Amino acid sequence: MQDHEQQALRRFLAQAAHAEQVSIARLQPLSGGAVQENWLLDLELVGGAHAGRLECVLRCDSASAGVAVSLSRAHEFALFQLAFGAGVTVPEPLWLCDDDTVLGRPFFIMRRVRGSAAGHVLVRDLRLGGDRVQLTRRLGSELARIHALRAPQASLPFLPWYEEAPALRSVRLHRAFLDRHGSAHPALEWGLRWLERHAPARATLTLCHRDFRTGNYMVDENGLTGVLDWEFAGWSDPLEDIGWFCARCWRFGQNALEAGGIGTRADFYSGYESVSGTRIDAQAVKYWEVMAHMTWAIIALQQAQRFVSGAENRLLLALTGHIVPELEWEILNLTEAD
Amino acid sequence: MREHPQGEALLRCAQSLLQDTLIPALPAELRHDALMLKRAMAIAQRQLQYGDAPLHAQRAALSQLLQQDFATLDAAEAALATALRQGAADPGAPLRDALLRELRASGRQRLLESNPRALEPDTRA
Repeated sequence: MQDHEQQALRRFLAQAAHAEQVSIARLQPLSGGAVQENWLLDLELVGGAHAGRLECVLRCDSASAGVAVSLSRAHEFALFQLAFGAGVTVPEPLWLCDDDTVLGRPFFIMRRVRGSAAGHVLVRDLRLGGDRVQLTRRLGSELARIHALRAPQASLPFLPWYEEAPALRSVRLHRAFLDRHGSAHPALEWGLRWLERHAPARATLTLCHRDFRTGNYMVDENGLTGVLDWEFAGWSDPLEDIGWFCARCWRFGQNALEAGGIGTRADFYSGYESVSGTRIDAQAVKYWEVMAHMTWAIIALQQAQRFVSGAENRLLLALTGHIVPELEWEILNLTEAD
Repeated sequence: MREHPQGEALLRCAQSLLQDTLIPALPAELRHDALMLKRAMAIAQRQLQYGDAPLHAQRAALSQLLQQDFATLDAAEAALATALRQGAADPGAPLRDALLRELRASGRQRLLESNPRALEPDTRA
């Protein structure tokens, strides 16, 4: 970040925090995802409610356009505020800046939470995340707290509302994407036809995170410190999130631990049910695990497209396209019987 | 004629150098990038190794299955995608088993290139 940008950032922060003076003690890029950038930001504030040292993360869009379905930073900030207020373990959202004259793109600041999110490390390094049974149950209960949030929510007018069955809506949107994509994907078409034929009817829609998986929550040595990456959130069938968390493609190779590669399905479900008060229909979750592989395959194609189109010359995006064959393979495994 | 050694052999050799010499010497924060590099080189090498023969075979198989002479594999796959969406492989449909076999065959080939480890039986729980 250049000097004039840092100056503009300090001016914005002084105003937002009602501080007399703001200095930046540390600012460095964090290894981000394919869609957003995160910056580690340590501040020294003089005056205002946050006087003293404040350890934060600044989150903004990556330099080029993100995945079409992901939310803007302003919308993500509103979700953080709602979730934080509902008792979900998320980093405390502090300030949003949607004035492009400050950094050239919108960003928000949240309090930094300790720990690490890297999924492939978490599933292997048992020193992380504390007791794994507790962690698995805790993640279930966190998800149930998210699902307790129902429409309408005055702060979330940007989340599309719809009358279709969520499963059929996803099938329709995925097909529309494939129709716009340059090349055909017969195995995905096979899977979409299966998803269409087996689609569950519309039930009560809840707020869904829609990317709730290992790799998208932070843990330290004691346990969960924050649920991250809300940019795909929307109204949907709550089983979509449960299927996403348990899907084989998000176990990071620890396939016997069916809840995110970190625990058993029984512990995850019981943590969920302890907050929701309703039983999870285990058979119905299977449908959403097929959908999880499908949705991830579509997102992977979208990320690869950013490379193929010439918009972004990043190897991470290029390699993401090569995940599609294993997702298709698993879709065939899950659907060939019926 | 192309000069030898060609693409596949060059990539194999370059991968060995990366794996055996460079990656062990790299600081931890660069390791992830280096592994991505190795993966990209491995995919490119395997694509060169298998060449175009599997693609020609797939086009021929789809031409026979769908009883249409496709000029390109892209055209054949587009026709297959349309047929699948319309239910050509639903349970009870006459082509179901043959179409599934074809999806498996082309899927297996793409995995052999993009991620052959996904085909190893011990990766299944």
